[in-house]
Amino acid sequence: MAITAATSALVSALGTTSALAQDKPVALIISQSGLGDQSYNDLAYEGFKRGLEATGLEGRPVESRDVVAQAAEILRRASDADFGLVIDLEYSHGEPMLEVAKDYPDTNYVILNQVREAPNVASVLFQEQEGSYLAGMLAALVTTDTSIKGITPEPIIGVIGGTKSAGIDKFIAGYVEGAKAANPDVVVKVAYSNNFADPAIGLQMTKAMFEEGVDIVYQVAGGTGMGVIQAAKEAGRYAIGVDTDQDGLAPGNVLTSMIKRTDVAVETLIKDYAAGNFPRGETTTFGLAEDGVGLSEMLHTKDLIPAEYLEKVEAAKQDILSGKIKVWNVVEQGYPDYLK
Amino acid sequence: MSAQVLGSTSFERPRWLRILEPLGPLAAAFALAALVLFAAGHNPIDVYTLLAVEAFGSSRRIAATLSAATPLILTGLATAVAFRAGAFNVGVEGCIFVGGLAAATVGFTFVGLPAALLLPLALVAAVLVGSLWMLVPGLLKARLDVDEVVTTLMLNFIAISLTAWLVNGPLLAPGSANSATPMIADAARLPKLMPPSTLNAGFLIAIALLGLYALWGNRTALGFETRLAGMNARFAAASGINVPMLVIKMMLLSGAIGGLAGGIHALGNVGRFVAGFSPGYGFTGIAVALLGRGSALGIFLAALLFGALANAGATIQFFSDVPIEIVDILQGTVMVFAVAQLGWIFVRRRASA
Repeated sequence: MAITAATSALVSALGTTSALAQDKPVALIISQSGLGDQSYNDLAYEGFKRGLEATGLEGRPVESRDVVAQAAEILRRASDADFGLVIDLEYSHGEPMLEVAKDYPDTNYVILNQVREAPNVASVLFQEQEGSYLAGMLAALVTTDTSIKGITPEPIIGVIGGTKSAGIDKFIAGYVEGAKAANPDVVVKVAYSNNFADPAIGLQMTKAMFEEGVDIVYQVAGGTGMGVIQAAKEAGRYAIGVDTDQDGLAPGNVLTSMIKRTDVAVETLIKDYAAGNFPRGETTTFGLAEDGVGLSEMLHTKDLIPAEYLEKVEAAKQDILSGKIKVWNVVEQGYPDYLK
Repeated sequence: MSAQVLGSTSFERPRWLRILEPLGPLAAAFALAALVLFAAGHNPIDVYTLLAVEAFGSSRRIAATLSAATPLILTGLATAVAFRAGAFNVGVEGCIFVGGLAAATVGFTFVGLPAALLLPLALVAAVLVGSLWMLVPGLLKARLDVDEVVTTLMLNFIAISLTAWLVNGPLLAPGSANSATPMIADAARLPKLMPPSTLNAGFLIAIALLGLYALWGNRTALGFETRLAGMNARFAAASGINVPMLVIKMMLLSGAIGGLAGGIHALGNVGRFVAGFSPGYGFTGIAVALLGRGSALGIFLAALLFGALANAGATIQFFSDVPIEIVDILQGTVMVFAVAQLGWIFVRRRASA
């Protein structure tokens, strides 16, 4: 009895007694790398805080050291505790979320980077190929300009993916497409590290690419990509960052970063929820148009890159926004001929 | 006579003292964490009450705690079995990875088989692979006296990297953006005990093994010989026990239980092998074995404690601003105090060598 009373007191302390569903609090389930990762989780948490502030809703982030195994238990606990919206950043929670969501039809759930079909689940996808297209275009323009420090005359650029999968090849295909659009003669070396967490592998692979005449390497490999950036710094060449603004990790050696604005997605969904138009059962895509993906501000490299290249990239961005250019999406369209 | 020969003080102390002994470190750990909580601006009593409610406050919460404790019972047991023979096996973590991947692979590959065949097959695969994983360190320790702490620790890194490579390459689920195998067939799933909780039949297997362990340790010749070899290898050898063989057997058994822990985790809870499969169950298992003093009941209670912390530590964040780090500190302090016992074990080992 006392225990139940304690729980209900805590629940009511959160102000969850209100009748309106969209007044109920919001939970943010943090993924494996945890808060403080200076990447995906931290970025999403920023959006979470902004969303709560803008809407006046209550909310809490929840971390677990055993987030994979506790998937269903945590999602159920959030639902039992009367949270109205549960945003889950952990990729492996896709299946458990479907199982839990059907038991709590009045609760709203959000899953990122995958599509889960259920009436009360909103899926969020990013148009990473659009941002990658711009990154590829910039790399292809820069790679033959020997007036830029560290650039070799050969039109060869590289990309390292964490694993050979559609989710990663979506970035790579966009990058290749953008590069070819800028310079049809450009050669893009593609390699996979088969690891998302080992900077040493990234370092070695990137150095090997540099020896083959590559001067710019786009990393789509999480923690392994830290080694790509390190290699660029050591060799005096260039890396392209991913997910967050990684330009500052090796100022001057990270040409740009292809940022995935997880914060924008989280903030937008919280606002939609509060306004009563949460996209239940729908897949929302965040691309260039939604400010969901894009290149970094290039604080450290903008002065190195000739303005005409940046103007070309900006023009390509406008063409994507206007629909004039439709960048290939591996996840929806399968593999293009240039990336079999 | 036996108490003198065994050279151990544990037999001379009254039973109640032996049972209460681990509570000292626990009380110290909770007191220390209370200070940290207080310094961080939280009311320790409120936080501890909330933790207790989230861990044991309802049948659903208890089920979640038992579910979190299941892998820890098995890893604690795997560690204790090797300890008993005097082998300090820190490679159970690696066994979880290889055993878990083996069970998951069987579970998603032979999808046509009925549950009565597929489930045992997947579990046996986990046991075999886990056991084989400990063969080399067992042999090296028994034959060449190579320090098992070093070999088993190094094997953990190999196990983690090997499974990461397999799950990023040949065993990757088609279309998955992160490292995960396909989901296992329903027929390979261990049945749930209290749906919708993740508590599953793996918990019963773990409890049954604990019971067998208690019987084996106290009632069988092998159990006695193992204990003897662990306490004083020279004396055991002088009494005609084949100590190297015993060490190999116990390392294989330890690996088998570690592999089973991974198999049960894959088939009972996660349903696949995926990046982040074990957050360190094997290492927590060392603390479980030490805190539980190698006894079946002790292992159960210690696993329950760490399971409760893991479970409630996450869900209290729905109701308070206590960050996960506070629970880390609590768990870490309990481990430090539990491992303080380790010094005692090493001193004893050295004295008997």
